[in-house]
Amino acid sequence: MTKQDFRIVGKSVKRQDVIEKVTGEGRYTGDYHLPGLLHGKIKRAEIAHARIKHIDVSKALAYPGVKAVLTHHDVPKVLHYGSPHPRSASCTKDQYILEDKVRFWGEGVAAVAAVSEEIADEALDLIEVEYEPLPAVLDIDAAQQPGAPLIHDVGPGGNLVIPPVHIERGDVEAGFAEADLILEGVFEGGRPVPTYMEPNVCVADWDGSGKLTFWTSTQTSFMVRGALAEVLDLPQNKVRVLVDHMGGGFGAKQDLFQHEFLCALLARQCRRPVKMEFTRKETFIAGRSRHPFRMWLKQGFRKDGTLTARDMKIVYESGAYGSHSPGVTNVGTASATSLYRCPNVRLDGRAVYTNTPIAGAYRGYGVVQTYFAIDIQIDEAAERLGIDPAQMRLLNAVREGDIAPSGHPIVGRGLEACISRGIEAFDWPGKRAAGRGDPANPAIRKGWGIGCEMHGSSAYPGIREQGNATVKMNEDGSVTLLTGAAGLGTGAHTALAQIVAEELGVTFESVSVVHGDTDVVPWDIGAFASHTTYLVGSAAKMAAADLRQRVLARAAERLQESPEHLAMVDGVITVQGKPGQTLTVAEAMGPSRGIPAEHLIANGTYMPTKSYSFAAHFVEVAVDTETGIIECRKVVPVHDVGRVIHPIAAQGQIEGGIQQGIGHTLTEDYIIDRSTGRSLNAGLVDYKMPLSMDMPDIDTIILEAAPDPGGPWGAKGVGEDPIIAIGPAIANAVHDAIGVRFHHYPITPEDVLNGLRQKQENA
Amino acid sequence: MTKTLLELTVNGEDRSLAIEPYRSLLDVLREEAGLTGTKKGCDVGDCGACTVIVDGQPVNACLMLAVEAQGASVQTVEGLQPGPDELHPLQDAFMEHGASQCGFCTPGILIMAKHLLDQNPLPTDEEIRFGLSGNICRCTGYTKIFDAIRTAGRRMAAAKSQSVEA
Repeated sequence: MTKQDFRIVGKSVKRQDVIEKVTGEGRYTGDYHLPGLLHGKIKRAEIAHARIKHIDVSKALAYPGVKAVLTHHDVPKVLHYGSPHPRSASCTKDQYILEDKVRFWGEGVAAVAAVSEEIADEALDLIEVEYEPLPAVLDIDAAQQPGAPLIHDVGPGGNLVIPPVHIERGDVEAGFAEADLILEGVFEGGRPVPTYMEPNVCVADWDGSGKLTFWTSTQTSFMVRGALAEVLDLPQNKVRVLVDHMGGGFGAKQDLFQHEFLCALLARQCRRPVKMEFTRKETFIAGRSRHPFRMWLKQGFRKDGTLTARDMKIVYESGAYGSHSPGVTNVGTASATSLYRCPNVRLDGRAVYTNTPIAGAYRGYGVVQTYFAIDIQIDEAAERLGIDPAQMRLLNAVREGDIAPSGHPIVGRGLEACISRGIEAFDWPGKRAAGRGDPANPAIRKGWGIGCEMHGSSAYPGIREQGNATVKMNEDGSVTLLTGAAGLGTGAHTALAQIVAEELGVTFESVSVVHGDTDVVPWDIGAFASHTTYLVGSAAKMAAADLRQRVLARAAERLQESPEHLAMVDGVITVQGKPGQTLTVAEAMGPSRGIPAEHLIANGTYMPTKSYSFAAHFVEVAVDTETGIIECRKVVPVHDVGRVIHPIAAQGQIEGGIQQGIGHTLTEDYIIDRSTGRSLNAGLVDYKMPLSMDMPDIDTIILEAAPDPGGPWGAKGVGEDPIIAIGPAIANAVHDAIGVRFHHYPITPEDVLNGLRQKQENA
Repeated sequence: MTKTLLELTVNGEDRSLAIEPYRSLLDVLREEAGLTGTKKGCDVGDCGACTVIVDGQPVNACLMLAVEAQGASVQTVEGLQPGPDELHPLQDAFMEHGASQCGFCTPGILIMAKHLLDQNPLPTDEEIRFGLSGNICRCTGYTKIFDAIRTAGRRMAAAKSQSVEA
């Protein structure tokens, strides 16, 4: 199919969910107020590592308005996963709902349900906990010391979450022997948090038959169902999970959270519905962050710029529980086999427990860290070898037939296409030749940099994914798509409806989407890994294709024609060579000679491997050498998405990812005091994100350079890519501006001033 | 606790609500007045998701006690539509430009943008950026929000000049 043939795919149709968002009618989980609703709150530990000697809830229970208090004595003792991916081989069961042990400052130790939030809050202060303090392990060095206090009894030991991931290809030593230039460096990154605007929230309601209805803001409703059923010892058909609109997730809302279990248990005990809503502070303390990391990287280069060897050791800080560390460590480590082709690689990836808040899944999933380091070192090599940084990347870019991190051959030459297009659109040669000074302000130095990335759609091979869709043709010719994919704000449901309408041959407006009810929609793995359009989109396309065949077969009967001679466009069936003879879908679906027609329902199930999307970001920064402030002024992001389904939604993903990535690189860091484990900036003022005044001009370019046969009409993911490329692009641009290399994020004004001072001293 | 009678106008409708005097305007709008369009993103005045207009001024409803709105006229996102089947130009433009992704910040931003355009339908880019500096959006990178506000402003200005001519 060529681009001109599409009627709906590739057009920015009106998103179906947005009318409700602009009128305020859209229901988010926190908007549900059931009759008799109680409010739940969690008592949080103010110590990083301790055993609970005694917990006294008598005063809290006696407080007027309090309906229930739960401690570790009152909840099922089931060891569970933070990240219970049902089709994954690598998860770590290391969490109880409540335990007599505290592993990080802010961990829940008890829960209260009361008639109002205020009373629940007051009751928390009446719970008395006596702790036996344990030595706390507050950074990755302390965690890896021989004889370090162990945070968990489970796992391979030595505070490792999983056994080290080791990947070796080729002969690294021989590769270094061939090198003309060897670079070695240590890279580090802080603790950015996703900071979705909707704090985590859930509502639990049990009916008389013992069935739980559970509204929650989650990307993975079927995982929530599975985990609740397991922990509550219920069959899965007695747990109904509902999620309507979601106020963002960015990956972090695919964990199973302590408050979700506690909310269900409180509601069961009280025989009344209970709502639990995080405060903004709790989204920091009890939410999930990106993994802080330290990475040692050594690479060898020939004089011409080609890579000969890559040796890497990365340690991810998991925090108090494993959560997504198995996945993050595997994906992040494997990512370093690729991006820039290298015949000889040796990679070692680890995740270690510390007594700090939990790191989980967050957009860019372990890859942000590795590519930050690799792309800065590539830039250093280009500088040392006197090669243009853009040409250096073109020379080494992964391409068709190279082995991707998943073990599959790369499809197409997407990365080269992104770099080439960016060179032209950004006027890279012109920028490089321009002066770094700013005539308006002598303190300003301007600089330009590039960052590249590739990222997989789907979590294969870590998870064997399965996408499902059901498409129903109603009697009047309208169409209903049932999907389990969460609508976390990306516009994915609209993209799925476009795919169905296109494949089926009906109008976009005639397709409506039903989602967010585990009792109704087909099983879904969850909305993550940049895969909804790729995975569920393919399943929806398969279902629509099947339905189309059946509609045409019915129409053929009615028209006394062979189905091969029929076409269906915008819900109208025509006969080849007989322009007068048409039938609407509604007519085809209606009764024939008074006999009601059979209802048509089609299912699609798709089990993909993986495709890779590519991006190159070109960035201009202005560094104020007096204040140290880095301003990101312009970004030209070039993304290869294979096939764009909804251009505006795809651009929105890219621009939003850039916003978060600028924050991670320059200002965002959730700081844990390394002597107490206490968090220092759990709020939106002290945790500084880029806002309206801080955003650069962004000229987004979307390419369809390397369509992947695994996605609908070649479509690949786009959600995670932008946040990966922007970080190294900024760091490289800062170096271009002031001649100082930074190997960490965030790069603060203080770092800039210190760097400039050091540079002057060394000169 | 003794309840207080709060009398105010919300989206043009007179409301009498018996409320605890310590409750915020945000909680009262959401839980007593049944208007859940206004969102709670932080409850401490940092995020702007709860922006409403009180007597012509935008405020963070989480920072205002409901009793302070005694006798006031309050406008929320639910009151933006000029008619039941009609959208405000901002609502149209937000849909058109993809300015709403997860949508949680949208009600607050729409209200703030309405206030901005009511004062000045053709703001400069700098004025738009400054006008939204108290509203956090984490999904869009703001670019499409700026586009939508510019578009809506142009249409509002054109409509205004047309009606003046007529």
